[in-house]
Amino acid sequence: MIALSVAALLAVFLLYTSIAGGGTPSLRPSQLSEQHGEVALAGKVVHGSVRGDAREGGLRFRLRDVKGTASVPVLYSGSVPDLFKEDRDIVVQGTLRNGVFVAEPGTLVTKCPSKYEPAKPGSQDRA
Amino acid sequence: MPELGRAALIVALGLALYALLVGAYAAWSGRRRLAASAQNAILAAFAATFVASLVLSAALLRDDFSFTYVQEHTSTDLSSAYKLSAFWGGQEGSLLLWLLILTGYSTAAVAFGRRVGRDLLAWVVPVLGGVCVFFAFMVVAVASPFATQPAPVEGAGMTASLQNPYMLAHPPLLYLGYVGLAIPWAFAMGALLSRRTDERWIVATRRWTLAAWTFLGVGQLLGAHWAYEEIGWGGYFAWDPVENAALMPWLAATAFLHSVMIQEKRGMLKVWNMILVVGAFLLSLFGTFLTRSGVVNSIHSFTQSSIGPWFLLFIGIATAFSLVLVFSRLPLLRSQTRLESLISREATFLYNNLLLVALCLTILWGVLFPLVSEAVRGEAVNVGGPYYNFFLRSFGLPLLLLMGIGPLIAWRRASLRALGRTFLVPLGVALAAGLVLLVLGAGSSIPGLVAYTFSAFVLASIAFEFVRGTRARRALGASSWPAAFSSLISRNRRRYGGYIVHAAIVLLAIGVAGSSAYETVREGKLRPGQELRAADYTLRLQGIEQRETANAVQVRAVLDVERGGSELGSLRAGKNHYRVGDEVSNEVGIRSDLLTGEDLFVTTDRIDGDDSVYVKVFVKPLVNFIWLAGLVFILGSLVTLWPDAREQRRLLLRYEPQAAPTEA
Amino acid sequence: MTLLALALAAVLAIACVVYVARPFLREPAPAEDRLDEPGELERRRLALAEERDRALAALKELEFDHRTGAVSDEDYRTLVGPLRREAAEALRALEPRAVGGPGRVHARR
Repeated sequence: MIALSVAALLAVFLLYTSIAGGGTPSLRPSQLSEQHGEVALAGKVVHGSVRGDAREGGLRFRLRDVKGTASVPVLYSGSVPDLFKEDRDIVVQGTLRNGVFVAEPGTLVTKCPSKYEPAKPGSQDRA
Repeated sequence: MPELGRAALIVALGLALYALLVGAYAAWSGRRRLAASAQNAILAAFAATFVASLVLSAALLRDDFSFTYVQEHTSTDLSSAYKLSAFWGGQEGSLLLWLLILTGYSTAAVAFGRRVGRDLLAWVVPVLGGVCVFFAFMVVAVASPFATQPAPVEGAGMTASLQNPYMLAHPPLLYLGYVGLAIPWAFAMGALLSRRTDERWIVATRRWTLAAWTFLGVGQLLGAHWAYEEIGWGGYFAWDPVENAALMPWLAATAFLHSVMIQEKRGMLKVWNMILVVGAFLLSLFGTFLTRSGVVNSIHSFTQSSIGPWFLLFIGIATAFSLVLVFSRLPLLRSQTRLESLISREATFLYNNLLLVALCLTILWGVLFPLVSEAVRGEAVNVGGPYYNFFLRSFGLPLLLLMGIGPLIAWRRASLRALGRTFLVPLGVALAAGLVLLVLGAGSSIPGLVAYTFSAFVLASIAFEFVRGTRARRALGASSWPAAFSSLISRNRRRYGGYIVHAAIVLLAIGVAGSSAYETVREGKLRPGQELRAADYTLRLQGIEQRETANAVQVRAVLDVERGGSELGSLRAGKNHYRVGDEVSNEVGIRSDLLTGEDLFVTTDRIDGDDSVYVKVFVKPLVNFIWLAGLVFILGSLVTLWPDAREQRRLLLRYEPQAAPTEA
Repeated sequence: MTLLALALAAVLAIACVVYVARPFLREPAPAEDRLDEPGELERRRLALAEERDRALAALKELEFDHRTGAVSDEDYRTLVGPLRREAAEALRALEPRAVGGPGRVHARR
């Protein structure tokens, strides 16, 4: 009987992961290509590249590999987190279209300083 | 003074080693005085750790920036309470806190556990000593809070969002929970090592497990409340790995609390209970590791972290030790009793266990998968809300239902006819509630409607139990209804305390369902005088206020709130711009409706120079039930934890009949 | 400052060592130094005592459930017989003659 329940729960789990996938892949700018469709893009905001207004007309900036130089232009509209700054690591969802990564509104997340944990961000940076 | 701190920790490490090595030898060779000596070593280790903690606390309060730790986490302008809270703000200090609580708990467990039998205690001591050795080693050699430097004039300060009353209490409470799970584990291992087959270790640690579980639960609720008010993205739980880190051991401990009841009543599930108590402890170690080692940012930052690899090593050792011990003692854990019926209280406990463990494992997978994927394939993956929410619904809703079914079913076997009769009233209430809710528009979210209906069922069945019990006591001769009620609870503390805790979980479920399935979100740009409507609220921007304080410039949008024609006052939301470190914090405005538990939650995205504001407004029905649930949860746990003289006498008779007074 | 710190540390260390050695200092020549482990007889008695308590507790809970109405009359009749038998057996097994050793057990009220 226990085996049956375990099997049932496993089935639920496998069904879900096979339909919805185990997680959204998060790519670096250097891995991005037109074929990918909607993905999460993670990288560092290139210094001096931020222009525009996220609420009027769209925020434009370049995102580069955290450990590299390959970069891609990003167009984003929607709410921008307070921690968004040049040289910060961010994640944003969207699709690459005609060489520009068009982001889904509201999906910009700054990665670096931890938002939810009680640990001071400084200890994270050192780690 | 840092030398004193460092020396005290070295002494603590030496004592822990003594407790581990000498304690193990004493237990194995059966030497009484040596075993007592090892016990004393645990208490002495607590004293030494306490001294070290005093040194650090004094340095924090004194602004002694020659301590690198003090300089990194405080500044002179902090209030004393927050200076002290920096104790656990950083990695080194939090490890010291772990050690302090661990040695403290171990001392208490050993002191109060003298009753459980010297041979069992003799093995518990080295097990606890082993854990103490790890944490003492970490603070002595790997991450010392007593590193020194030439003292600068000012400290780096504390992150603004941590300067919050919730953050004063959240980490210590969580740690009281995490560390608390080490005690039942140590007693379980001690029981196996001493080859005991009796339940004494369970009886001895029941209250420990309950207390640790309560601390863990309340700690998480405080963390959620902090995230809700301080971070202000509109939610209270984001399935962040650090949040999951505390949830997983809590789920395992919940399963353990229930299945241990089955072992006490029927003598079944001994191996399962061992696995659960081991799992709960390992998950709490893992949780500490996740929160403090930086592994969640990236697998690469983990390898640069100093404590990460050590933690993994210790978790590996603890896992291997526990599993080898359990499997080598399997013959001792065999039980004759079998499950008699699939429809019995034992069976519902079993289903509840399976669901809890399944939920715990899916969360574990969600946390590990990205790390494994990145380590193995070099490809970063993000597991988000949809994954977790799906399983929370799939496993959580049946769990909710089981909370209502369990109390209504008898032990061993329940006939379907009897079931039908007992279920009639609660089921009727639930269906009626469901229909009413449907009419009121709750059909917009099926999971939400199901959650509400199940909640009604559980609350009805709990109320039913209280009513029936009170009536029965009245029939037995209680003087009045209140007397019957209180004598009912005091004579059956575990049962009715448990019902109160279940009621708390139901309130939590209602709050979560309401605020997620039925929330309204509206965004917009407002100029002074303009309005935004959300659900039945209307918000009008009056203007922007700016205020200067000692360390920040506070900018607030002032909004007038109106609902159904009546003015509800004004709400302020905005940002604080801190001068030091160029930080910006989000300050949300919340208006809680005390009658309905609904929150009007406003956060500003941007405030422009021309006084226009981008606002995001959430209307979250019933969200305050979540915080109310926390209070009821504490109440229920207190009832269950309350010492029971009758129970103590009974246990004394069982385990030490020669010591017990003769009864006619 | 450092001298004071080291002095305090020394005091702490010495105090701890003394406390750890205390069992030996209190009883330099004890009559016996064995850690008492429950023997086979004691283990059996414990197991039987637990079974007895389990049976009695189950009976008590059945009565309670019946009185509050959670268990129907017929279910009660079906279940109470075997439970009473179990309890009686457990009580009998704990009698001194059956256990065959020291440690008289007093029946629970």
